[in-house]
Amino acid sequence: MLREFFNSRLLALMRKEFNQIRRDTRIVMSLIVPPALLLLVFGLVLNSKIENVRLGVIDQSGTSESRELVADLSVSRSFRLTRAFLSPGDLSDAVMDGRVQAGLIIPAEFGRDLEKGRQATVQFVLNAMDANTATVAKTYAQGVVSAYAKGVRGPGVHARFDEVAGAVARPGGVELQPSFLYNPGLFAAWFTVTGVVGLLCILNGTLVASSALVKEREAGTIEQLLMSPATTTEIIVAKIAPLFAALCVMVVILVVGIGRVVFGVPFNGSVFLVFAGAALCLLGGIGIGIFLATFTRSAYQTQLASFFINPPLAFLSGAVTPVEAMPAWLRPVTQINPIYHFGVIARGSMLKGSGLETLWPNFLALALIALALLTLSIMRFRKQLA
Amino acid sequence: MNRILAQARIELIQITRDRMSLILILALPVILLIVIGSAINLKVSHLPIVIQDFDGSGTSREFADAFRASDSLYVVSWPTDRGPEDALLLNKARAALVIPSHFERDLLRRGGAPVQLLADGSDSNTAALVAGYVTSIVSAYNQSHGRAQDAAPVRAETRLWYNPGLDSKKYSGPGAYVLNLSLFAPLLASLAMAKESETKTILQVYVSNISAHQFLLGKVLAFTVVSLAESLPMLVTLKVYFGMSFAGDPTPFIVGTVLYAFCIAAFGVMAGAAIPVRALATQVVSIGGFLLTFLLSGLVFPVDNIPWQLRWISNFVWAKHYIAVVRDAFLQGGGWRSTWLEIVIIAVTGLVFYAIAWKTLRPMQVSA
Repeated sequence: MLREFFNSRLLALMRKEFNQIRRDTRIVMSLIVPPALLLLVFGLVLNSKIENVRLGVIDQSGTSESRELVADLSVSRSFRLTRAFLSPGDLSDAVMDGRVQAGLIIPAEFGRDLEKGRQATVQFVLNAMDANTATVAKTYAQGVVSAYAKGVRGPGVHARFDEVAGAVARPGGVELQPSFLYNPGLFAAWFTVTGVVGLLCILNGTLVASSALVKEREAGTIEQLLMSPATTTEIIVAKIAPLFAALCVMVVILVVGIGRVVFGVPFNGSVFLVFAGAALCLLGGIGIGIFLATFTRSAYQTQLASFFINPPLAFLSGAVTPVEAMPAWLRPVTQINPIYHFGVIARGSMLKGSGLETLWPNFLALALIALALLTLSIMRFRKQLA
Repeated sequence: MNRILAQARIELIQITRDRMSLILILALPVILLIVIGSAINLKVSHLPIVIQDFDGSGTSREFADAFRASDSLYVVSWPTDRGPEDALLLNKARAALVIPSHFERDLLRRGGAPVQLLADGSDSNTAALVAGYVTSIVSAYNQSHGRAQDAAPVRAETRLWYNPGLDSKKYSGPGAYVLNLSLFAPLLASLAMAKESETKTILQVYVSNISAHQFLLGKVLAFTVVSLAESLPMLVTLKVYFGMSFAGDPTPFIVGTVLYAFCIAAFGVMAGAAIPVRALATQVVSIGGFLLTFLLSGLVFPVDNIPWQLRWISNFVWAKHYIAVVRDAFLQGGGWRSTWLEIVIIAVTGLVFYAIAWKTLRPMQVSA
């Protein structure tokens, strides 16, 4: 049985493809370098952490109390004091053209109100175009102000506000003690990188598989292969297997080299689960690639056709934005998206340390999607060539 | 002038005859606008949270009810004999709130009772949002029960400008519109241009007496029209599906859009002229149009968060300036005063692209 396999046509074909790739190191480099760079850039650039919100201040009170509030806001990493303004008109102009994102207006009676024990009010203006930044910045500002209020009452303790956690504990009522599991530093890159690996698996699997098949067809060499006694399935499998192997190397470099070494994503669970998920994801991408190749005659047409599939897959995956942010009618679509399932597996296994007992539904879904895509596309390809 | 128009007409006829091009310009951008515009939000509300009440007293139940009444969170039932972390591991909830036993007694006797919040940090932004929502519910509860000492001595009154409902669709919708616009029209422009070299029809252009400027201007004009035609159905979608309308003077937006259409058409023509292979040209344009726009223009993730070593690049990304114009027109209504610089930059970038395209063609032109 084993000997039969080693003497088979399939193996001979595979060896031919492997040799072809091995001689052309450029292909191997082009398989590995661009995705690695992309993952690096995505991890560095797509950062949702709200820090250094540009703050403009109007201090009409000009007392030591008001200066202390401004100092409290600007020592926190959340806000950066950009400049002081004299009139509300200047401040609103600056908010409008984006020089500052937030404004704090301390009224003239602020110091007097505090001295007399009356409640003092400050106004906090936020450019809310970006709803996410505005929501978090609002919480931060309220945290700083209530921590400041506590300091006014107490013996002048400066409360700093680095994380949301800092301002919440209030003596007297319910005291909230928050802790962030799995990512205590709230590094945004841990979320982005784990999601984008799946995205790159699909994109590169699609690109590599479709271009390999379309190239063979453009050059007319696929007819020669068809004349040989090998079956169409054997030809496709032999063509894809070495590319799949190279893509697996890419995944290892992405996960270990970029994820672990550059961004410090922890491996709390089994790293093999991540690789298994990525392999299934690659197979799904290859299936999409073969499918696209059946529709198009040349390389540029394949690229145009991929715009119908890849952007929706990428954006409806929860790879870079949370799935819950999608409207309810779009959310079920994520269930048939391999990138979504890989994201759950990668985050579960790497960050949360979950094992197969919690992740099996995602593996099952991923395997079914890959199987369905591969059979469908190979069937279509065979029918076209027959 | 006649030659330019004739050249533009040829291009437009070719596009309208090709079904694939028409779908790429008119149908796909609208579909993607709806999908991308509603999918790429970071702000999430209505998040699942688990509340484990180990006290089971009247006070603790009342405290938990404050969360049930909230719009930004919804409470998932979870048995008290299972660890709250399991809910996070199984992705059933984004956070778990643990109310310890003696909660009521501590609150009444000691005047303070701790509760623990466990938030799933694997999605860091959502974790920060959850913590913020829980914090405001807790402090509202404290205030309504007069437990937060008296009234706080300092109160912050927050005003949310330009988007008081904190509707994130109004932020991502215009962004997705710019993303689509920056991608498809230049893609077709580069294909049309690279095709001339690939199929050698460019040689016919060389031997004809049309000048490089006339040839290029014809192409750019045609694809400027294509870009504008592409933007119209998307603007209707923005109005109908995303509920956007002009916040102020629409003239900067109109001028900016026409100039941006010129800018991206020139970009596509330039890429096609410099790279005479269609497959490669499409790749370059999709990287330029799509990746640069998505990563470096402040589409979803704030530009300020990009490390400074990379941030300066964003100033050269044409889409960043157009996004500023679009968001200003639909949300801020600042008019010319706040967007004139962006519009000038868009125009200059377009001219630079045009100049490069002209430079690549000029040496090949046989002098008359």
